[in-house]
Amino acid sequence: MTQKPPLISVRNLNLYFGAFHALRDVSVDFHAGEMVGLVGDNGAGKTTLIRVLCGIHAPSSGEVYFDGRKVDTFHPKNAIDQGIETIQQSVGLCDNLSIARNFYLGREPVRRILGIPLLDFARMREMSTRVIRQFGLRDNVSADDDVERLSGGERQSIKIGRAVEFKNRVVIMDEPTNHLSVREREHVNELARQLRDQGLLVIYITHDIFQVHRLADRIVIMENGQKIEDTTTDRMSAEDLEAVIRHGGRVVEKAEA
Amino acid sequence: MALAAIKPIVRRHAEIGIVLIAVLLVVVFALSSEGRWANAYNIGTILQVTATLGLMTLGVALVIASGEIDISVGSTFGIGALVYLWLALRVDPALAALAALTAGGLIGAVNGWLVTRTGTPSLIVTLGTLMIFRGIAIALTSGFAFSIPYKDRTGISYRLLGGGEILGLNTSVIWLVLMLVVLGAMLRLMPWGNRLLAVGGSSDSALSRGVRVDRVKFSAFVFCGTLAALGGVLEAGKLGSADGSMGRLMELQAIAACVLGGCLLAGGRISLIGALTGAFVLSSIQSYLVVMSVRPQWFMVLLGLIVVAAALGDRSLRQWALRR
Repeated sequence: MTQKPPLISVRNLNLYFGAFHALRDVSVDFHAGEMVGLVGDNGAGKTTLIRVLCGIHAPSSGEVYFDGRKVDTFHPKNAIDQGIETIQQSVGLCDNLSIARNFYLGREPVRRILGIPLLDFARMREMSTRVIRQFGLRDNVSADDDVERLSGGERQSIKIGRAVEFKNRVVIMDEPTNHLSVREREHVNELARQLRDQGLLVIYITHDIFQVHRLADRIVIMENGQKIEDTTTDRMSAEDLEAVIRHGGRVVEKAEA
Repeated sequence: MALAAIKPIVRRHAEIGIVLIAVLLVVVFALSSEGRWANAYNIGTILQVTATLGLMTLGVALVIASGEIDISVGSTFGIGALVYLWLALRVDPALAALAALTAGGLIGAVNGWLVTRTGTPSLIVTLGTLMIFRGIAIALTSGFAFSIPYKDRTGISYRLLGGGEILGLNTSVIWLVLMLVVLGAMLRLMPWGNRLLAVGGSSDSALSRGVRVDRVKFSAFVFCGTLAALGGVLEAGKLGSADGSMGRLMELQAIAACVLGGCLLAGGRISLIGALTGAFVLSSIQSYLVVMSVRPQWFMVLLGLIVVAAALGDRSLRQWALRR
């Protein structure tokens, strides 16, 4: 697997927010067909790193290669067009729009009448209804309901369902099991496994090293904007990795002081 | 029980409050004015005023939908009117109108560019352009009015652009209905509308879905400027003349009409019909105060009081609808 060229290759990435050095010289490779657990404490830079990958932030220096080509312009539109789907924690759904409209936001299916693009409501409803049923949302939830009405778990289900339904090459999940019940959590983890088995790259971000150690093929640990560990799960146990997280934080603090 | 049944309808349709207020005011005004308010001529005048204010209001509603605000529309309206009048003497009014709309679109583009490129709050940016273009309008006219001589106020394109009537209605009303239908369709049936409302609801979420937030906001400002200029053109066509103060304070009426009509200032939820009903209510109140010969000193005070009362009434209706 590691013989093949990486699908995403990050080289010496630095990102500053004003004077704050959010990512420090991060280099990491991600391959198709693998599930990578991205782990670290709050503020370690996990979310910032994936926000570069999904196009929200442009790096201050360093390069990102996708499928061997250097990425020049960073915008979520480009990332989505390339097949990089991101399930983020706080964003992704607009409360004021219906489920069907949220589902296709940014890539609405259209029927052209006299060249004028009109939304294809039938298609929008059909696919989002399928996902609503598949994910076991309440029976009285319809594709035309505003997202506002949904619970935290239902919102998460919509985001995940959307990521699964479109044909993608990369699915990035940022704390996908927050707000979820035990059963929903298992469902999400099972889906993540299926996506990996279908040959997609799955990047799974979490605090919970024990949970992701069971799922992932590889673990990348971040701390203070740096990558401090990158290993396969068969080489290190969850306990050892947890020690790295604890230990790593302290070492970096001392080095900085 | 019957009241409880309409709660969900009121909740879903933010414009119901203003429609009820409009009906109430029409009844009160008609009954209390001894025919001076409710006659064909006066209603026609109200509709003409509603049309020009309404076009501006539709534009402001689009910008509000995107989560921004445009208070420069009063000046854009004035510039649109002046460009139209100056050119209509020299070229065909249709071409003059096209130039005026372009000028309005450009003002909108300046607003949109400043807001999206610099991240400056749109309230401040458009407050600045409000003053800049009002100043330019006053400087251009240098205290005089641009006007078209009576003998030249003819021709099909002049009459179609607010300077004539069809079936007793000023042609500006047709433009209003046309724009309402077109914009309503764009908002509800096209991807653009979906993205505009998404940007207003949560620009971060829209961005994360690949929506080009800046472009969407920019387009809303351009539409807004163009619509305000169209309002100015039609008003200029109706009056045949305009000075540097054309459209002053109309921006406030347009914003009031949007808010009364159920547009959420925070963005993401608007009602074009509601905003237009708001514009109709404001023009009706103005007309009522005029036909009842209210002393001009009290005119603004009364208008303001009625607007506040209408807003409170609408607010309590909505809160009632949200209660279980």
